[in-house]
Amino acid sequence: MATKEEVLQHIKELAKSDFIKKEEILKAFDEGARKENEDSKKLGIAEILYYIGGAIVFFGIAILVSQNWNTLNSFTRIFVTLGSSVVAYFAALLFGSKKKTENVGIAFHLVSALLMPLGLYIAFHEAGFVMTGNGIQALISFILFIVYILSLIAFGRTIFIFFSILFGTWLFFSFTGYLVGTNPIWGSDFFLYRTLATGLTYIFLGYYFSQGKRVSLSGFLYGFGILGLLGAALALGGWKPHQKILWEIAFPGLIFAVLFLSVYLKSRSFLTFGTIFLMLYITKITAEYFSGSLGWPLSLVIVGLLLIASGYLFVYIKDKYIVKAI
Amino acid sequence: MNIKNNLSLIFGISIPILMIILVTLSIYVPQFFVKPQYDFLYLIGNNNCYTDRNNTQIYSVQNNKVVKNVQDDAVQRCTAGQIPQPKIFRYDVVANKSTEVSFDDVKNLTVDSSPKSPDGFEIIRGSNSGGFFPFYFYSGSDYNSRYINGRNVSKKLNLQQDGYNFVLLGWIK
Repeated sequence: MATKEEVLQHIKELAKSDFIKKEEILKAFDEGARKENEDSKKLGIAEILYYIGGAIVFFGIAILVSQNWNTLNSFTRIFVTLGSSVVAYFAALLFGSKKKTENVGIAFHLVSALLMPLGLYIAFHEAGFVMTGNGIQALISFILFIVYILSLIAFGRTIFIFFSILFGTWLFFSFTGYLVGTNPIWGSDFFLYRTLATGLTYIFLGYYFSQGKRVSLSGFLYGFGILGLLGAALALGGWKPHQKILWEIAFPGLIFAVLFLSVYLKSRSFLTFGTIFLMLYITKITAEYFSGSLGWPLSLVIVGLLLIASGYLFVYIKDKYIVKAI
Repeated sequence: MNIKNNLSLIFGISIPILMIILVTLSIYVPQFFVKPQYDFLYLIGNNNCYTDRNNTQIYSVQNNKVVKNVQDDAVQRCTAGQIPQPKIFRYDVVANKSTEVSFDDVKNLTVDSSPKSPDGFEIIRGSNSGGFFPFYFYSGSDYNSRYINGRNVSKKLNLQQDGYNFVLLGWIK
């Protein structure tokens, strides 16, 4: 194996002869570093226990406050929830500053992020705000979004990106809901259009993170993104006699675009959800349009054969393009 | 910041922002260009009078005129203990306000009782979509609000009372 000096010298020679570009070397370096980073981020039993413990702490505090709601005064209610979340936040920062206790820090961040919305709800409730509707949700999610964006800027940790995306999504849904109010102009599909937009956003963000050192975020973003995109697009097609033909015709195109992208992005989420939604679409269209004319038994035979074909397509793409590439 | 390398991040952040802008524009912009022309009459209250197993509408529109089918003393009897007897309101679509009027004020007006106005508007209930993150998929009707809706415009009506017992009588021609 070549020494470091030899490798650097070789790179210099290749660069001199314009055989390789700077971006290509950096990309190769990032990919190597990412692989190492990925391996170290695998969830162990200890990490799972940390996170379960964090969730249990949250439920414990929530139940404590609800059971003693009448005996606690306003200050104590806020102190127990919002106060605990602030303490957990700073404890998480301290634990996160050392490599050895980094995962404990993440568990404390989880406690803090779960308690903070509850604490803010209680604080606004005690301040006399009306606690129903999208307005108050938009306000709380905005505060949380700002807290985590500022934390990201200050500390640059991946966990803050995760919470920024989570609370940003909440802000998007609640704020658009607040804007529309009871106005029926968007109809009952408003939720689906917002889910579609969120899915697309997640996919773009997933792609962005897959190019850098925070590749661990891209799997979660791709998974939820594609689920939101395809789920919303399928639901927008509706059901006979209230179907929307445009969405029903566009959906197979979307599915094949997703399957194509699964090869390009080397993403199992795209392939898995693309195949599942292809199967759902085949079943839906057959039940909707052909069960009456062909009859249910023959429709089921056709659906079964098409599902087998979809399954084969899944295995073929995975083996040929995704597993090999990974 | 290298735009080419961050293109996917820019797209990702732009989509929700563009959707917020689109939602805002879809609500407010059409209202500047498309305006309903026809005022309408509506009732708030119980318009049904049950007597001798018959249900009679207290007010209705016949031959493009508002008529009162039940006399005042009978109205007192049939609505006793029920939702208050209906009040008539005239809605001014330009000023976006409603005024209570008497039967005598409206009996000579020419009224079109079809659900859609001659310029293509109708009165519909508000939507009541809500929930808590991430479960926003509940969608139903808001029985207390009414909107004038048509030609890609949907504008909330300023009703003088809760719109739960709203009955459209017709469009004033």
